[in-house]
Amino acid sequence: MALTTWALGPALRLCAAGPVCSWEMLHVAGAGVCGCCGALRPRYKRLVDNIFPEDPEDGLVKTNMEKLTFYALSAPEKLDRIGAYLSERLIRDVSRHRYGYVCIAMEALDQLLMACHCQSINLFVESFLKMVAKLLESEKPNLQILGTNSFVKFANIEEDTPSYHRSYDFFVSRFSEMCHSSHDDLDIRTKIRMSGIKGLQGVVRKTVNDELQANIWDPQHMDKIVPSLLFNLQHVEESESRSPSPLQATEKEKESPTELAERCLRELLGRAAYGNIKNAIKPVLIHLDNHSLWEPKIFATCCFRIIMYSIQPQHSHLVIQQLLGHLDANSKSAATVRAGIVEVLSEAAVIAASGSVGPTVLEVFNTLLRQLRLSIDYALTGSYDCGAGVSTKIIKEHEERMFQEAVIKTIGSFASTLPTYQQSEVMVFIMNKVPLPSTQQSIEAGKAGENRNRLTQIMLLKSLLQVSVGFQCSNMLTALPSVFLDRLLSAALMEDAEIRLFVLEILISFIDRHGNRQKFSTISTISDISVLKLKVDKCSRQDTVFMKKHGQQLYRHIYLICKEESNVQAHYEALYSMLMLISIELANEEVMVDLIRLVLAVQEIAQINEDNLTAYNRCALFALGAAYLNLISQLTTVPTFCQHIHEVIEMRQKEAPYLLPEDVFVERPRLSKSLDRLGPEVFFWQSKISEVLGGSGYNSDRLSTPYVPQLTDEDRLSKRKSIGETISLQVEVESRNSPEREQRAPAEEITYETLKKAIDSVAVEEQERERRRQVVEKFQKAPFEEIAAHCGARATLLQSKLNQIFEITIRPPPSPSGTITAAYGQPQNHSIPVYEMKFPDLCVY
Amino acid sequence: MSMEDYDFLFKIVLIGNAGVGKTCLVRRFTQGLFPPGQGATIGVDFMIKTVEINGEKVKLQIWDTAGQERFRSITQSYYRSANALILTYDITCEESFRCLPEWLREIEQYASNKLTVLGNKIDLADKREVSQQRAAEFSEAQDMYYLETSAKESDNARQNTLENNVSSPLPGEGKSISYLTCCNFN
Ligand SMILES: Nc1nc2c(ncn2[C@@H]2O[C@H](COP(=O)(O)OP(=O)(O)O)[C@@H](O)[C@H]2O)c(=O)[nH]1
Ligand SMILES: [Mg+2]
Repeated sequence: MALTTWALGPALRLCAAGPVCSWEMLHVAGAGVCGCCGALRPRYKRLVDNIFPEDPEDGLVKTNMEKLTFYALSAPEKLDRIGAYLSERLIRDVSRHRYGYVCIAMEALDQLLMACHCQSINLFVESFLKMVAKLLESEKPNLQILGTNSFVKFANIEEDTPSYHRSYDFFVSRFSEMCHSSHDDLDIRTKIRMSGIKGLQGVVRKTVNDELQANIWDPQHMDKIVPSLLFNLQHVEESESRSPSPLQATEKEKESPTELAERCLRELLGRAAYGNIKNAIKPVLIHLDNHSLWEPKIFATCCFRIIMYSIQPQHSHLVIQQLLGHLDANSKSAATVRAGIVEVLSEAAVIAASGSVGPTVLEVFNTLLRQLRLSIDYALTGSYDCGAGVSTKIIKEHEERMFQEAVIKTIGSFASTLPTYQQSEVMVFIMNKVPLPSTQQSIEAGKAGENRNRLTQIMLLKSLLQVSVGFQCSNMLTALPSVFLDRLLSAALMEDAEIRLFVLEILISFIDRHGNRQKFSTISTISDISVLKLKVDKCSRQDTVFMKKHGQQLYRHIYLICKEESNVQAHYEALYSMLMLISIELANEEVMVDLIRLVLAVQEIAQINEDNLTAYNRCALFALGAAYLNLISQLTTVPTFCQHIHEVIEMRQKEAPYLLPEDVFVERPRLSKSLDRLGPEVFFWQSKISEVLGGSGYNSDRLSTPYVPQLTDEDRLSKRKSIGETISLQVEVESRNSPEREQRAPAEEITYETLKKAIDSVAVEEQERERRRQVVEKFQKAPFEEIAAHCGARATLLQSKLNQIFEITIRPPPSPSGTITAAYGQPQNHSIPVYEMKFPDLCVY
Repeated sequence: MSMEDYDFLFKIVLIGNAGVGKTCLVRRFTQGLFPPGQGATIGVDFMIKTVEINGEKVKLQIWDTAGQERFRSITQSYYRSANALILTYDITCEESFRCLPEWLREIEQYASNKLTVLGNKIDLADKREVSQQRAAEFSEAQDMYYLETSAKESDNARQNTLENNVSSPLPGEGKSISYLTCCNFN
């Protein structure tokens, strides 16, 4: 053995001289020249010594290096000794500051490493790493960089034998430290930092796939590597400001720590397996916390963009979950911080492939909704611990508001990544969280409770709107389950104008499946519908079924919303859009007829004005009717219909322009006080319309019947629901009364017992119809004050009784509000029973 | 022939509020100088020094950490593998001393060895805010070593405190691991 190695030396020398050589040749030749070397030191040492020139400036002695390489290749068992000796020399040279020789030793090591990637490399690596470590220990930037470069070369070698006891702790620590270099010289600092990043990249490459080695994914390493990379990523401005010319900029960029750090981070994350994601992301979150980087959120967003694009897509939900967890952990942090986290979540959700939310869809939304509620509480109480004690932090309401907006946006982002059926699930989930008077959800009493309820309602409806915007349902029937629609519509009947508007907007989002809604955003009486370039598909069978099932409910709500005095332009615009969208999305002939009837009934609201609406409300309703009929007549393409509508509009232009949208829906509407003295020619006439449309094959019988909001047959199936809506209506009417009008009807009298009595006295079907007609009539004729007087009581006792009843009911008004109001105004009087209510047994407990 | 240039290796981590003089102490110890106005440490700093104690070469890896809160996570990751943790405060700054319990909490989960409390800047005796007695009592109560020094005028500390700190290492596993258990109070 020893003989062979000794013998090989001269052979190598020979070989270097000649142009061709083979191993046989070498061996043969080597055997012959054995005894000729008389050096005292072992051959490998001499070979090593020979690679160092007299003058370090001359660099590595190339020919001798080749000899050393051949020697090492032919006698791999000597590699460890060569390594040890080289390292000994290097350490000595470092301490003697002979840096030229240090570089030469390193170069030799690199070359040996490259040449010998066989199993035996293992023997060599230990001394190699020792030398790298030695260089890294140095204060001299050049040596640090030299060491790093060698390490990087080593890191790119794939070893086939694992090494059990190798530790990279020092390398990770030192490279991370280098990433933070604060060397005075900017250029050197940049170089050291880049070296640090490259070194970390090397460690990652070297260890990431080797389960036997120190686990790079352990927190002890991740907590150094990740923040070091982020620290460099973060200082993008610094390097940018140094590159004036664009050409230089691109060059610089290639060489900037920022860019390098990003690449390294991407590589790291790309290699992260399922179980490692958590350890890799946690330090990111902590770094962003510590460096206050959630606000402004630009950097945080940038980080998570990198993360989401780099990790394997099937892991993205883990990141989302961690962010959600972090949001919860920051529940009591400043609103700006929470907002930052939420915005990042939103971005991340969009990037993540669909299904990013993972297995726990509702959990995600639950967390977001919880945060929303918390924020509402913070803003209301001005304290992080609700109700209790003093809070040290000052809560800024406008910041909470911004946070809430961010949460809502994020809810939308998440929902948009979901398949339709899950979106619909989410909407039901959100809707169920909206506190409504008609449900068992705790409606808190008192001013604060009211306030909280209202804010919660608004925020949740906003969230819902956000979801509905991204919701594409081809099948309304399955997408909007009855329970959902019922709850949503019942929210529309709350007194609150803002809430009402949200409900309308949400419905519009659902109905508009062809992107037509913008075309109806301004109410007008355009003479040619074709300019709108409407996109229309034929109404599908499911849509027809949907309208059969829910049409009456929708009409009734539109009708009732029209009667609200607090409506502003936005409401009328939404009503207009809604009517138009139903007409083009969901309407068959029958629906069309009903819509026309509905709009004519709305005209009557304005005309008769039993609700004591303002001039503006009334003009707006007139204008709304004109605009709708104008478009719908053109859609039917029945010339006589168009003509009638056109005539009325022309007449209004001449006689009463304040009844047209162009005059009403402007900044300063021109209204008229004399709305009660209008001539018949400015109205649309039901008789006329049913005549002209009947002539074109439309159902003129139906057309000539005035629309009266009522229970549909479907509604009848679940009449128990009507009690709920009856009461909510009553509450509504009541609450609109001014206190002076309150009189009579002490609250105690309207008890559950009285209701029960009323229920018991429900008459037979025949009588029922007749009486209904009477009462409708009575109601229509009675002055508002009178009706209002009937329902004066609004004591909390009543409220709580009603709430009790709400619990067993499901949803809102089937009948003209006036009717019920009148009936309830005299609850003891059995001669005016609550006609249209037949209460199933389960209701009367 | 040994490939190593040391018999023992110690990792020492310095912690304490920003401005108490950690970086200066390390410089004084490793380079023998008191650095003129250098900036606050960013993240961590690294220095190496080999000393001979009882004829044995002891290599000290010194990790000097940034005191600022924002680097807390990265500096924390260096506590873990430390053989010795040195809590530094400024004797002329009450606040830096009062923060020590907070630092103790911070390192609680990592510190397995007896800690050292180090009061710096004794050259500014007239500005002293933390008495020796108070610091000694505190350290004793927490079972920590305690000493005072000055990075600026290291005359009274014949050997630097850092070195004292490792004067009697226990033989550890192999060559590279050892413990720091004793401290010389001059
Ligand atoms: N007088 C005096 N000043 C010191 C001493 N040590 C450090 N300083 C000063 O204290 C300031 C902070 O020192 P530095 O080492 O950066 O503190 P670090 O943040 O703990 O690393 C600098 O202005 C130093 O000049 C000392 O022993 N005596
Ligand atoms: Mg410092």
